[in-house]
Amino acid sequence: MKQRNFWVILTGVIIGIAALALTLLGNPGNMGFCIACFLRDTSGALKLHSAEVVQYMRPEIVGMILGSMIIAMISKEFKPRGGSSPMTRFVIAIVVMVGALVFLGCPLRMMLRVGGGDLNAIVGLVGFIAGIFVGTLWMRGGFTLKRAYAQSMTEGLVLPIIAAVLMAMSVFLPSLFAASESGPGAMHAPILIALGVGLIVGGLCQRSRFCTVAASRDAMMFKDWSMLWGFAAVIVTTIVGNLILGKFNLSFADQPVAHTDGLWNFLGMALVGWGSVLLGGCPLRQVILAGEGNSDAAVTVTGFVVGAAICHNFGLASSPKGPTVNGMIAVAVGFVILTLVGVLNREKA
Amino acid sequence: MTEFIATFHTHLSAMRTQRALTREGIAARLSPVPRYLSASCGTCVIYTAEDAHLNCMDADAERVVERLDDKQSFRELFKCS
Repeated sequence: MKQRNFWVILTGVIIGIAALALTLLGNPGNMGFCIACFLRDTSGALKLHSAEVVQYMRPEIVGMILGSMIIAMISKEFKPRGGSSPMTRFVIAIVVMVGALVFLGCPLRMMLRVGGGDLNAIVGLVGFIAGIFVGTLWMRGGFTLKRAYAQSMTEGLVLPIIAAVLMAMSVFLPSLFAASESGPGAMHAPILIALGVGLIVGGLCQRSRFCTVAASRDAMMFKDWSMLWGFAAVIVTTIVGNLILGKFNLSFADQPVAHTDGLWNFLGMALVGWGSVLLGGCPLRQVILAGEGNSDAAVTVTGFVVGAAICHNFGLASSPKGPTVNGMIAVAVGFVILTLVGVLNREKA
Repeated sequence: MTEFIATFHTHLSAMRTQRALTREGIAARLSPVPRYLSASCGTCVIYTAEDAHLNCMDADAERVVERLDDKQSFRELFKCS
């Protein structure tokens, strides 16, 4: 087996096992990991939105940023860079978050939902791949957010430091933060375990460059299938794990934190796929890159947090009852925004 | 003939270089950057030629290396920060 494939598959298996463990220890169903949901919860904990059921400072995200940073520093790959159209990335990040919260999950959670037997996530997966395909057409057509430049160590450390400080404050000064008493935000694994698992997964993702978008994008653009092994590893691990644990439930209905509206599951994830290709990686990858000192990725993660707040403050996020009218309009607007971003950032190839 | 790998700051730059090399009659293909070369997940151009053809590199080229016999060893020929 190629060494690259080994690390990617190992990362996928560990993510799958970690997600199953975190769910057993308290995280919501099929939500051992979800970058969109966890940043949404964090956004709520910071009182950027007031949806009472989704407010919690998720240690997994902080762990992933710091895990990536530690491994990058040890391997001399912590290289602060930035300046590649940061505000455009911020806007795309908001659009991606709209798509994710209309579907109810980032691409990683979509995989975990598939692994739990949630057939709505299969519909989302088809939309995700369709969105990635559209994104690759823009890439082939000359889309570029321009190059990034080397930056100071300080610039690269800002987001990891903010994440660490907020995590410490949420532990030692919990009254400053909002915390759900019911709903998904109230369901969580013990803090230290969640933080530790995040550190391990963050470090592994840094080594393997694991990315849910790269799996399909690289296959479409370069006929390179390496990352698809990791994608498959997550799904296979969670299917096997859920079957062993008796939690595999093959159906559309009655899935945890999910709705059954196929059209909007498809369109929500199509928006995520397209936007993520323009960003150069999925939400998970942005978190890892931010840990490596990439300030463009840090701006993108900030965009996700703001996007989550917008979704809940303006009623764009779906609920298990289904998508909202505002959410549907926002997804349509999102497609228009991505088209405009594409047109305005196109150069002769 | 030697195998070269060129990495870039943008995907567009990699595409332009691949086309420039192809116009010179050199077999060049786009690929994800090998992990041993970089932690970033950009696009590289892999090509086989008598020399590195640095004149074909786009303005946003980052690095050109010559791959040595051991598949993961390389010699750096050009680097731009």
